[in-house]
Amino acid sequence: MKIVYIPSKITSDVNGYELLLRLQSDLSHFIGEDIHISFKNVYWFEANLVAILGAIIEDLENRHNRVKIIDAEYFRLKNDILFRNGFFPQYGITSSSLFSSSTQIPYMKFKEHEPQLYNDYIQSELLDNKDFPRHSEKLGGEIKRNIFELFENARTHGKCKHIHTCGQFYPTRKKLHITIVDTGQTIVNNVKDFLKKDMKSSEYIDWAMETGNTTKVGNIPGGLGLGLIFEFINLNKGKIQVVSSNGYWELREGKISKHDLNFSFRGTIANLEFDLTENNHYSLADEVPQFDIIF
Amino acid sequence: MQLRIIDIIKTNFAVTTDDGDRIFDLLDQNFSKKNPVILDFEGITLMTTAFLNSSIGQLYSNNKYSSEFLNSNLKIVNVQEQDRSLFAIVVKRAKEYFADRQGFERNTSDSIYGSD
Repeated sequence: MKIVYIPSKITSDVNGYELLLRLQSDLSHFIGEDIHISFKNVYWFEANLVAILGAIIEDLENRHNRVKIIDAEYFRLKNDILFRNGFFPQYGITSSSLFSSSTQIPYMKFKEHEPQLYNDYIQSELLDNKDFPRHSEKLGGEIKRNIFELFENARTHGKCKHIHTCGQFYPTRKKLHITIVDTGQTIVNNVKDFLKKDMKSSEYIDWAMETGNTTKVGNIPGGLGLGLIFEFINLNKGKIQVVSSNGYWELREGKISKHDLNFSFRGTIANLEFDLTENNHYSLADEVPQFDIIF
Repeated sequence: MQLRIIDIIKTNFAVTTDDGDRIFDLLDQNFSKKNPVILDFEGITLMTTAFLNSSIGQLYSNNKYSSEFLNSNLKIVNVQEQDRSLFAIVVKRAKEYFADRQGFERNTSDSIYGSD
């Protein structure tokens, strides 16, 4: 039996992603083992990032390892969010007398062929949640569109078994965080195969984020989803981080950062932050088209 | 022929490639019989480019339907104000995508077989 300890602090920055990717890397050679993942040392775990841990556990289980989460009660003393957002209960650990709050968008995993369930999830957890911060209808519509564009991108490009997702909103700061993780084909490999050109991993992600760039080759055009998310996040003054293979790409406050990490993730992580106070005019095109001659 | 999207995809979220594909198939069937279509988006509250790429953008594949044909035979109605600009973006992108692909395939063919 192998016991691994989650590091003390997991946040959505280069260091936080490196720690989670290192965990996956350290366990990459285990097949058919009992693996216990301990929360004994954890004092902070950014709630929505459990989508990444869920994907890492799926990866282990795909190699016939038997995974168990242990020492959750240690973390419970500091914070009960991973009980409230359904992550610990997913692995059979429950707790009573939890702090009453509904600012979490629960941890869920969806099969690639279950987009309707994802629709229902967003409807019930985001749209029908009475505690979700007030925001303009227009902004709400654009946020939902962006979440669905990203989910559909993961579903069609990742060719994965499951898509893991989890979110958290912050009523006082008026922010919404949502993480979507797939364990399929990486953006890096998809773009590398398509361009047949050697670049740094983060540069492949940079290419994929540009409007008009797509690795699709069939009869359905592509190249809009990620580009439009990029443009929207820029206008919204939000944040998007993409980790794929060992590439790290971030857009925050209008500035792009790119790094190649020391470890690789077998899939793609997208972490988004939306600003719910923004009242920009989110126009996708200069003019509303004339529908009589739209084609 | 009038096609109500919500009746076909059974949800008010027009967001997936698969649902877009179903709409494309129905459009293709009608156009091959020379039936003009009114595509009705009433009740659709959320739309993505992924859905529109497969339902509308795909009409431009293999030069199957020209802009003139589509402007005469496909009428789009009841699209929410905030979704209208998406159509223009998707149509523009589809034209570029298939033009690029023709160029790509021609270049590949030229480099294999020579251009003369």
